[in-house]
Order: sequence, then structure tokens, then C-alpha cells
Amino acid sequence: MRRKPADTVRQFVALSRRSTLAIFRQPALVGPSLIFPLFFAALGSSSFSRAISLPGFPKVDSYLQFTLAGTVTQGVLFGSVTGAAALATDIEEGFFDRLLAAPTSRTSILFGRLAGSSLFGALQALIFLLALLPFGVTVQAGLLGYVSIVVAGFITAFAVGALMSVVALKTGSAEAVQGTFPVLFILLFLSSAFFPRETMSGAYRHIADFNPISYMVEGQRSLSIDGVSLVAITQTLVIPAGIAVLTTMLALRQLSVRLAAR
Amino acid sequence: MSTGRSVGILAARSIRNIRRLPSAFFPALAMPIFNMVVFAGTFFAVTKIPGFPTDRSINWYMPLGIMMGAAFAGVGLGFTTIRDIETGFYDRLRMSPTSRMSLVIGPLMGTLTRVVMMTTVVIAIGIALGARFSGGVLGVLCLYIAALGLSTIGAGWGLGLAFIFKDMRGAAIMQLSIFLVMFLSSAQVPLNVMDGWLHTVARVNPATNILRLARVGLVNESNVDHLSFGAVWGGLLAILLMGGLSLGFALRQLRKLSN
Amino acid sequence: MNNAPIIAEQLARHFGDVKAVDGINLTVNQGEIFGFLGPNGAGKSTAVRMLTTLLRPTSGTARVAGYDVVKQADEVRRNIGVALQDAAIDPLMTGYELLELQAVLYGIAATKMKQRANELLERVGLTAAADRRVATYSGGMRRRLDLALSLIHQPAVLFLDEPTTGLDPMSRLTLWEEVRRLNREGTTVMLTTQYLEEADQLADRIAIIDHGKIVREGKPSELKRSVGDPTLLINVSREHSDAARSVLARFGDMRPTAEGTLGVGLRGGAERVAEVVRALDEAKLVVEHLELNQPSLDDVFAEATGYRLEGADNAPQAG
Repeated sequence: MRRKPADTVRQFVALSRRSTLAIFRQPALVGPSLIFPLFFAALGSSSFSRAISLPGFPKVDSYLQFTLAGTVTQGVLFGSVTGAAALATDIEEGFFDRLLAAPTSRTSILFGRLAGSSLFGALQALIFLLALLPFGVTVQAGLLGYVSIVVAGFITAFAVGALMSVVALKTGSAEAVQGTFPVLFILLFLSSAFFPRETMSGAYRHIADFNPISYMVEGQRSLSIDGVSLVAITQTLVIPAGIAVLTTMLALRQLSVRLAAR
Repeated sequence: MSTGRSVGILAARSIRNIRRLPSAFFPALAMPIFNMVVFAGTFFAVTKIPGFPTDRSINWYMPLGIMMGAAFAGVGLGFTTIRDIETGFYDRLRMSPTSRMSLVIGPLMGTLTRVVMMTTVVIAIGIALGARFSGGVLGVLCLYIAALGLSTIGAGWGLGLAFIFKDMRGAAIMQLSIFLVMFLSSAQVPLNVMDGWLHTVARVNPATNILRLARVGLVNESNVDHLSFGAVWGGLLAILLMGGLSLGFALRQLRKLSN
Repeated sequence: MNNAPIIAEQLARHFGDVKAVDGINLTVNQGEIFGFLGPNGAGKSTAVRMLTTLLRPTSGTARVAGYDVVKQADEVRRNIGVALQDAAIDPLMTGYELLELQAVLYGIAATKMKQRANELLERVGLTAAADRRVATYSGGMRRRLDLALSLIHQPAVLFLDEPTTGLDPMSRLTLWEEVRRLNREGTTVMLTTQYLEEADQLADRIAIIDHGKIVREGKPSELKRSVGDPTLLINVSREHSDAARSVLARFGDMRPTAEGTLGVGLRGGAERVAEVVRALDEAKLVVEHLELNQPSLDDVFAEATGYRLEGADNAPQAG
């Protein structure tokens, strides 16, 4: 069966709309991914106010300034679990099969589902940037910096959403998707999201050195503390984009496995 | 005498379920280990802040991991009780002529046994990762007492909420409240190192006292919070007071269950 | 003066504005099987929860086994056995462990515990399954275990809350037989059910509860007789339906029936059937099917409440 590209676009738009609305209609589900990162940021600003003068910390006015990038990344990672859990719920409740039974383009089902959480990721990034503004936390790189971080929020949410979709497509269980949440938590903590890599030691330091999340966060951090630089923008955008390509490929493969099994 | 037997058999049921429902016990064991490792690793340099009471980050975060685990193990009793209420099994317990006290104390004993197991495992791993008790056996004992005390407080709170809500809404409140109380304390850094709003809150949070008790055997010997009556009485008092209050709350809500 | 095992006086329980149980009076006599009949939500479970100390009455009093359910709750608990709706048991425990737990909670001496548990397992036919986790039990096995649990302390009064709901006919019969046996041995039984058949088979007396009120009470045979005339059901072809209705109406009051069937409460009973047939014949009406139904508990129920007990028709027949 051949489909016209125009149809695919229309289907994609319709499904995106649905997934986006679904997120905003479930405040209890998405609320925590906005509140917890801000809570930890507030906690850190009081707990680690004296840590910023330790050797290894960049020159910053406050811990809040340092942790901005970590807060954004933390929120986006946790928020993106919601979208993939919704995909698993679609599978559990049979809505997914109904979509497949219709002549809907296969990829638009996946991308439509991810569109909602990606938009939400961008929105989260924007909310965190604005929420910390009254506390004197600004992005030195100016408008370009703000835009880059918001776009990074979009891409990161897409990348993680695709990865979670692999789990959703493989297991068809929303619970299994929620169950991967601790893994994201561990990955985040094993990076330089909260303290600079320079202050870590031993095996832990090595893991953080290998963790791509470290470099993603550090790119955003550099934009916010130091200002515009090509390296910082590259780290901010290219790393999540690379991960997104990889996880999308995995998700598409898992989708075709699921389709073949029907 | 009959109360003692009831307590024993209800505790036995809870302990048996460690083996029969490992999927519930495993996270309760993994979470404290994970907390200990990632906090100690991420905030490795925190001990270099002037005035920090220990120079090993694992010494500071191992008790935190244990105490978080103990608190959540405590409210975990609320979870299992909600399940018993939902299946109707709790009606069976309530219909028996055994004392209401034993319906609370029995399962609590099971929870405390779990906490002792968890604490032992985390201490062993902590020591393997470099934690050192400056306070010797007495210091270890204080850590156990703090863990058992905190989980008792959590258990009373969890049970009371389970009796009020009777469904999983209660579980969400249990988790959130424990999470807030634990973090709005000296969980991450000691009082003398923090600034601003958190200092104001943590100073009056009883969890800070209990955490101090948990850490008396792990801070530097020269520190004021090292093993001494002055360092432990606040935590002991908090445990007695809060433990009494929360168990009273649980018992009162249990009696009100038939209203 | 009245030492009946269960006495409720003006017993009521309100949940906010909802009067779940709206002032009921009830006496269950020594050695009786008493059937408490009503649809879901009629208030029978609420009533039983009050009688078994799980729920405090809003007003009114109840005495069970001679003790006040509020003021002497522990004494009541010591003297009653309760098999719960849905056999609420912990699936992670084995049958034997549950009996052991129950024995301890009821203060059975440690020396007698094992023997008592084994007796009961034997009695309900679960000896072989005693050390298996309850999760592996069938519905019937769970109910039988539940019954054994409720008997651990040899209670004088036994409450069975919908003991056979969801069971297959075979399991249902086994359970009924066991209840009869217990009753012969002297246990007073209060049984709640939504199955008319069950109440009819087991109960010496029944009470029908609807919207929180007891609307009928008595022996099943008396209640059925009180409804009066048997129902004559006939089927005629559709075009003759109205004509047949007017003929039937001469012999009694028309009664609600299934679509396509006409029913009349036949005044004078069975001896008038021939007369009806002749009248229909004279009117040139061809009768496709005819039957005479003596009043059932369902009729009693319909007459008392104005509707038929849902689910009564598809309850598995085990008679």
C-alpha cells in the first residue's frame, strides 16, 4: 500500500495534537517533572552555596547559576518518561492496534506520539529558565543561548522518548516503562549534572567522563556561565541530536518487530 | 501473653514475605545502596568545605542512604496494609479478638527486621567503599537505633494514612511527605555548612536530630557531633516523641476504621 | 428475656446522606439458618459488617451471641465466625499458615493449634493442599479454606457473606452440604446471598432487604404462600396477543413477564386451568405453550420490591 506524503503529514499532525493534549490534560503526571527539579535546585542553592568556591568549580555567582543546566536536563529526562508511558498505555488498551488497523503511516504513529513529549521538553526548559530568572540566574550567551537550551530540551525529550518507546514497544507495558525511570536517575547522577567532573575522583570520575549526559549538561552550562562558543553550542545540540538518531533507529526497528509479530 | 503470640505471628508473616515477594524487598535494599553510592560519588568534594564534619563523603552519605531506606521501609508498611485493606484481608484481622495494639506492633516488628537486614547490608557495602566508623561499636549501635527509630515513625505515619485513605492515594501522600521531611533536613550537608531558607527549616526538623544520631559514629572525633551525650540526646528524644505520636496516630485511625 | 444469638433493634448506618441500612429489626433464633436476601447495594453487607463489629452503627443496637456489638466488641469477636465475601485471604500464605495465624489471633492454645488446624483441613477437604500457597487455589478451595478459618475457634454463630458467589454448581453443592452439617451440629448461621435458590435451599427463615429496609421476613414456604395465586403463563402468536390478554384478565391480575409471554395470577389456583383453556378455545385462540408456576421466592421478592432480583435467573442451578 502506497501512501501520499500529504496524508502522512496530516496523520502526523493529528497524532501530534493528540499526544500534546494528552500531556497537558494530565497535570498529576507531568507536574512532578516540573516541581522536583526546581525543588532540588532550591535545596542545592542552600546546601551547596559554599561548595562553589571549592577547587574544580567554575567561577559562578551562585550554585543556582551552576546547576541551571542540570535542572533543565533533569526535568526533561523525567518528563519524557510520561510520553513513552502513554505509548505503552496505547498498546495496553488496544488503541495502538486500532491505529495500525487504519491505513495510518507507521512512522507517524511513533513520531506523533513523541511530538507531544518533545514539545513538553522544550516547554520545560523554557519554564526552568524563566523560573530561575528572578534569582539572578541568566544565560550569558543571550538569546542564542536561551534558544539553544530550549531546542536542546526538545531534542533531548525526543531522544529519551524514543529510547523509552523501545521499552514500550517491546513490553507493551506502561509499568515497565515507568520501571526504567530509576535507570535515567542513575545515568543523571553518574554525570556532572550536579557537581563538576573536576571535583569527582576514582571510578566515579571515569564513569562521568564516559557519560554523554556530562557533555550535554556542560555545553548548556558553558552557555549559561561563559557565553557563546561554538564548542558549547555543539555540545548542547549535537550530542542529544546524535542520541536521538540512534534511539529513533532502535525505536523504528522495534516498531517493525512489533508489526511483524501481528 | 496472647498479645505476644499475635505480635509474633504477624511479624512472621511480614518476614516470610521478604522471600515470597522479593520484588517488593529488592528495591527497598537497592535504593539505599544506590543513594549512598551516587551521593558520595557526585558530592565527593563536599567534605572539603571548611567545617564539614568528616573528610570521607561516604561517611556522610552512607547514613543518609540507610536513613532514607529506613524511612521508606517504614511507610512501606502502609503500602502493604493498603493492599490488605483492598483485598479484604485486613477485615479478617480486625474481626479477630486480638488486641488492636498487636495489629500495629506485629507488622511493625516485621518491618524492623527488614530494616536491620537492610542496614547491615548497606553498612557492609559502605565499609567496602571506604566508610570508617570513628565511633566504634557504640557508633554502629547509634546508626541502628536511628534507623529503627525512623522506620518506626514512618511505619506509624504510613499505617495511619493507610487507615484514613484505604487506597493507593494514601501511598502517594506517604512517599511525598517522607521525601520532603528527609530532604528538608541535614540530609545533604550539615547545618553549619548550609545557608538561607533550608537552614531555617532544617534546624527545627526532627529528622535533622535523628540524622545527627545516625552519624555520631562516623564524623571526625574532633567534631561536636561526635559520639557524646550532647550529640545523641536530640535524636533519641525525637525518636521517642515522634515514634510515640505516630504510633498513637496509627492506633487511633485503626480504631476509627469502624466509624 | 430474649437470648437469641442475633438481635438487631432499629439498627441503622448512614454514609453521609445515604441510608445504607435504615433502621432494621431482626431476630435470629438459636440453631437457625437465617437467609439475608437482597441485591447488591441493598444494605445487607453493611448490616453484616455492623453485626460482625467491622462497622459502628449510626443508631440502634445489636446483640450478637449475647453481647453488644459496640460496647463488647471483643466478646462478640470471640464468639462469631465470619466467612467473608470474596474469601479475603493473603495469596502469599499457605492454607496451613493462614489457619495458624487465625488460631493465634483467636487465642487457641499452642498445644491444640496443630490438631485443630488439621481437623479443619480434613473437614473441608484441603489436607493435600495445606502447604500450597493460596494463590494456587481454585475459587471453591478458597471458599472452603475461608470456611475452615471462620471455624477455628468453634464459634456459636457463623456469618457467611455471599459464600457461593462466583462458584461452579459442584462447589456450591459441597459448600451447602457443609453449612447444613455445621447447622446440624448446633451452629447458628446467618447467610447473606443474592441467590434466591440458595436462600430457598438452606434457610429456615429469610429476610428480604431493599433500600436499607427489611421488606419481608418469614419462612420461605409461608412467604411463597403469602404471595398467593400461582402464575399461568401462555404464549400465543403475536396477532392474537391482545385478544388473549383480555381473556386472561377475566381470571386474575396480569403479571409482569418476559417479552412475548402473557402471565396472569390465577385466582383459585390449578383447578381453574381447564376453564382458562376452554375460554381461549372459544375465542379461537391457538395456544403455543402453557405452564403453571407456583409462587417462588422470586415472586415474593418481586411482590415485595416491585422488581425481580437481578442475576437470579442466571445463577447456576444446583438443586
